[in-house]
Amino acid sequence: MTNKYYEFFCPVKVIAGKAALEHIPYELTGLAAKRPMIVTDKGVRAAGLLDPVIAACEESGLEIVSIYDDVPPDSSTSVVKDIAGVYRKEKCDSIIAVGGGSAIDTGKAVNILVSEGGDNIAKYSGAGVLKHPLKPFFVVPTTAGTGSEVTSVAVITDEKKGVKLPFTSSFLLPNAAIIDPRMTLTLPPHITAATAMDALTHATEAFTCMAKNPLSDAYATAAIKKVSQSLLAVMDNPKDSDGRLELAQASTMAGIAFSNSMVGLVHSLGHATGAICHLPHGLCMSLYLPYVLEFNLESIREPLGELLLHLEGPEVYSATPASRRAEVSISAIRKLRDALYKRCELPRTLKETGKVLENQLESIAKLALDDGSIMFNPREVSHEDAMAVLRRAWA
Amino acid sequence: MMVKRLQPMMSHARRSYVELMFQVMGRALQAISEVDETTRNETRELPEGFLFEMQVMPNGPKLIVEHTGNGKLLFHGDEAPRPVDLSIQFKHIAHAFLVLSFQEKTSVAFANDRMLVDGDVSYAVRMTRVLNRLESFILPKLIAERAVKEYPATIKLPEKLISAARIYLKVATQFVETVRA
Ligand SMILES: [Fe+2]
Repeated sequence: MTNKYYEFFCPVKVIAGKAALEHIPYELTGLAAKRPMIVTDKGVRAAGLLDPVIAACEESGLEIVSIYDDVPPDSSTSVVKDIAGVYRKEKCDSIIAVGGGSAIDTGKAVNILVSEGGDNIAKYSGAGVLKHPLKPFFVVPTTAGTGSEVTSVAVITDEKKGVKLPFTSSFLLPNAAIIDPRMTLTLPPHITAATAMDALTHATEAFTCMAKNPLSDAYATAAIKKVSQSLLAVMDNPKDSDGRLELAQASTMAGIAFSNSMVGLVHSLGHATGAICHLPHGLCMSLYLPYVLEFNLESIREPLGELLLHLEGPEVYSATPASRRAEVSISAIRKLRDALYKRCELPRTLKETGKVLENQLESIAKLALDDGSIMFNPREVSHEDAMAVLRRAWA
Repeated sequence: MMVKRLQPMMSHARRSYVELMFQVMGRALQAISEVDETTRNETRELPEGFLFEMQVMPNGPKLIVEHTGNGKLLFHGDEAPRPVDLSIQFKHIAHAFLVLSFQEKTSVAFANDRMLVDGDVSYAVRMTRVLNRLESFILPKLIAERAVKEYPATIKLPEKLISAARIYLKVATQFVETVRA
């Protein structure tokens, strides 16, 4: 008998496809919510993405009681406190987060305060602090990458102490994630590319790291297939709403996969690089993915080889001898990065970003070794190992 | 019935085994931090006076060590002088047994949701690396390869320490054989 054991949990209702936004009023009513508040950022509002959400609600006679559109790219404890104040003043009873990772994390954190009470969000930091379900909470993602709509984590910066506070609880999961192709239709090319590479990395790491399990594997492979088939088509034709929906679904599926089986060294290095050099997360993922797969190769040869089927399709897969499939999977990812570089100059090396100095590599390596995701990387990583990967990713 | 009578004996044996292994590991953690520079490079990053605990939920056996500075660890037995800074908790004695009898790697146990971290994750990551290194020291290579992600290419430790730890280990493995039989 094997010692294998796993857990898998995703209670989020996924509402996806054409006219998905129009389901929001019905779904809110089903949770007895009548006074929703929208949490979003200025970019989302300026892009006109709130209009269809508001229209969908008003047409059903559901009034959006309040709109907070000032979430910064790195959300903070004081922002969370302010929004909770507005929520209480306006007597709201539910939250709709519209946006990318930051708006969604902010929505999660605000939900803690307005459900549990108080003004000090730091008090609820950590794992398993929450013991009760929170207020009705919906998420409408406007990027296709982070997968935050299906994760039980939020990160909020405590600006006074200068630290990032993590919050982990299954109660942070929204009641519903609304995936509507209209929300990602106007995403600029380089953000489309970087966020899709984040989703691809979530799925690839979920499938090759230590906590992989049969259920998350199914989501991961399906997500990889969708990104491989649709990303370049969308890059060439940004108004391809079917392709946009495929990417958005891939992002959600990859999110379900990695929130149940964790990520590895690509994320450890990416988190460290983001913190030190302030590069966008998706870009960091794209930078490191092939080099980390090469580092892990001998530990993940079998699962990585299997991914070739989903990256390149049945013809390439069957024409490639089993012993070569893992390497060809890595080449497929490199090929995709080259194609993205051609279309929107998404950097492929640290040097190409123009924002990383070679003498910063040491500190990136040091910080990466402290990152929680390194625990689930299939190979043990020493400082020298991390440096070797960083040097390969340099140029 | 035979099965019914065996069950409490099994669980008693498992508990004693976990208690014994916590003792072995606690002492070995202290020893390794005195002689092994690689370990000290990890532990030195912990704050001075930092208390680390491994515990079986809800009130099972415990292991407590303190970082007394410059990477040195001090074994406190199962009683902490003050509230601990980092706690790694096994959800059940059965899970602790799997890990401490080297049937499941520490990192796999994390991956399998057998354990919870209470405290700063970056310290937990560090302590997991120290535990991996410790296991590769005190275990014969064959068992160590099963217990840790990777067997380090270079380990130098005084033979005396290794043999001392292995004596404990011998007692321990006999224990496992008995319990598993
Ligand atoms: Fe990510």
